[in-house]
Amino acid sequence: MTLRTALVLLVAIALTILESVIPHLLHLRAARPDLLLIVVLYLALRDDVIQGAALSAAAGYLSDLTSATPAFLYTFLAVLTFVVVRTAGAALRTEGGIQSAAVAFGASLGHSLLATLVFGFFTGAGLHFELAPMMWSAFGTAIAAPFVFAALRRVDASFQHGEEAPRGFR
Amino acid sequence: MHSIFKRFREPIFVIALLAVPFAIFFVKAKQGRDLNVLDRAVIFAIAPVEKVITLSAFAVIDAWHGYVALRNVREENVQLRRDNLKAHQLEQQAAELRLENDRLRHLLDYVDKQAPARLMLARVVAVGASPHSHTLRIARGSDDGVAKGAPVIAPEGVVGIVSQLTGSYSDVQLILSPLSAIPAVSQRTRSRSTVKGTGDISRCKLTYALRTDDLQEGDVLVTAGGPGFFPHGLRVGRVVNVVKRPHGLFLDAEVIPAVDFSRLDEVAVVIEGAPRAQGVAAGGPAPGSGP
Repeated sequence: MTLRTALVLLVAIALTILESVIPHLLHLRAARPDLLLIVVLYLALRDDVIQGAALSAAAGYLSDLTSATPAFLYTFLAVLTFVVVRTAGAALRTEGGIQSAAVAFGASLGHSLLATLVFGFFTGAGLHFELAPMMWSAFGTAIAAPFVFAALRRVDASFQHGEEAPRGFR
Repeated sequence: MHSIFKRFREPIFVIALLAVPFAIFFVKAKQGRDLNVLDRAVIFAIAPVEKVITLSAFAVIDAWHGYVALRNVREENVQLRRDNLKAHQLEQQAAELRLENDRLRHLLDYVDKQAPARLMLARVVAVGASPHSHTLRIARGSDDGVAKGAPVIAPEGVVGIVSQLTGSYSDVQLILSPLSAIPAVSQRTRSRSTVKGTGDISRCKLTYALRTDDLQEGDVLVTAGGPGFFPHGLRVGRVVNVVKRPHGLFLDAEVIPAVDFSRLDEVAVVIEGAPRAQGVAAGGPAPGSGP
C-alpha cells in the first residue's frame, strides 16, 4: 500500500467520523451529505482503475459498517458508482466548485435510487421511494462536494499527481 | 492465458470487486449482520473518536450552560433528566397496566408473565454515516451486558433495537428502518397492527390493521409485547392519515413516531429479564397482528 493510498483511506475514515458525528451534534434530520460518495466520485474521475476501485470498495465498506444494513450493500454500490461515473467520466467536468457540486448532486440522487432499489428488492423490505429525503441528501452532498474534492486534491498535490488519470477503462 | 489476464486485468479486477460484495450481500440480505474481526477492529478504531468528539462537544455545551445557569440547578437537572427517563417509562407501563387490569380483573388467576426489565442508560455518540442509514451508535456494548436484539427506548417511547455490537459500542436500528416491524396495539381500541419502517425520517407505515377496526387520527399506539419483542406498553407513536378503502381486509395509515430521533442524546437499553426484541422479517405480519 502506497502512502497516498493510506492517506486517502485516512481521509475516508475522517469523513466517516464527520458524517456520523456532525448530523448528531447539529440535530440534522434530512440534509445530510454523503461524504464517502464524494470520495468515490473523486476516485472515479481522477484515480487509476484498480486503485480507485479498491479505494471505492473501502469507502463503501466504511459506510456498510455504520449503516446496520445487510453486509456489503454499500460496498457493492460504491464500486458500481465508481464504474458508472468512470464510464461517464469523459462527459463530466469537476474542475470548478459548481461543476463538482452538480456532479455530486446527480450522483447522490442516482446512488440513493439505486440503494433503495437494491435494498428493497433483495431484503424483501419492499420499495419505498421517499423523494424528499433523497433530494435533501443530494443537496447536502452537493454543498460538501467542493470541500471534499479540494481536500483530496491537496492530498494528490502533495504527491505530485497533477496530471489526470486516463479516462475510462484501458 | 497470462497475457489475456494481463490485458484485461482492470475489467477482471473491477468485475470481481462488484461480484464478491454482491454475492455476499445476496446471500446475507435477509440476515442480520454479525461483525467479524475486521469489522470489530474498524469500529474499535472509529467509535472512540466519535465518542470523544461528541462528548467533548456536549461537554462544551454543558459547560456553557453550567456557566450561564446556576451550577447546582444544572447538576440537579442532569440528575432529574435521568430520573425522568425512568419515570416516563414506568408511567407508560403503569397506564397500560391499569387499562389491562380493568379488563382482566375478573380473571382471578391472572399472572404477569413479563419478566422484570432493567434499564441501562447509554449515551448516543453518533448516527449512521450514510444518509440512508437509520441507526444510532451508543456507548454501551456486550461488555456492559447489552445483547443483540435488545430493545432501546427513550422517555418519549420506542427507539429501536440493537442490531450489531462490539464490546463497548452498539448500533441501534431505528424503528424508521425498512427492516423494522413492531407489533403494536391501539391504546384506545386495543386493535392490533404492525408499525413498519419505510426509510422516511418522520413517519412509519401502519400495516395489518383491520379495516373494521375503529382506528382514528391521533390514536396512540403502544407496543403489543409478547415473547421476542419489545416489552408491553411502550409508546410507539400516533396514527395519522387513516384511509379506509371500500374493499380489502386492511386499512391504510401512517404513524408519527413518538420519538424525535434527531434529538436523542441519551437512551435506555432494556436488558436482563426483558424478552429479547427483534424486527420481524420484513413483509410479514407480526405475531398476533392482522387476521
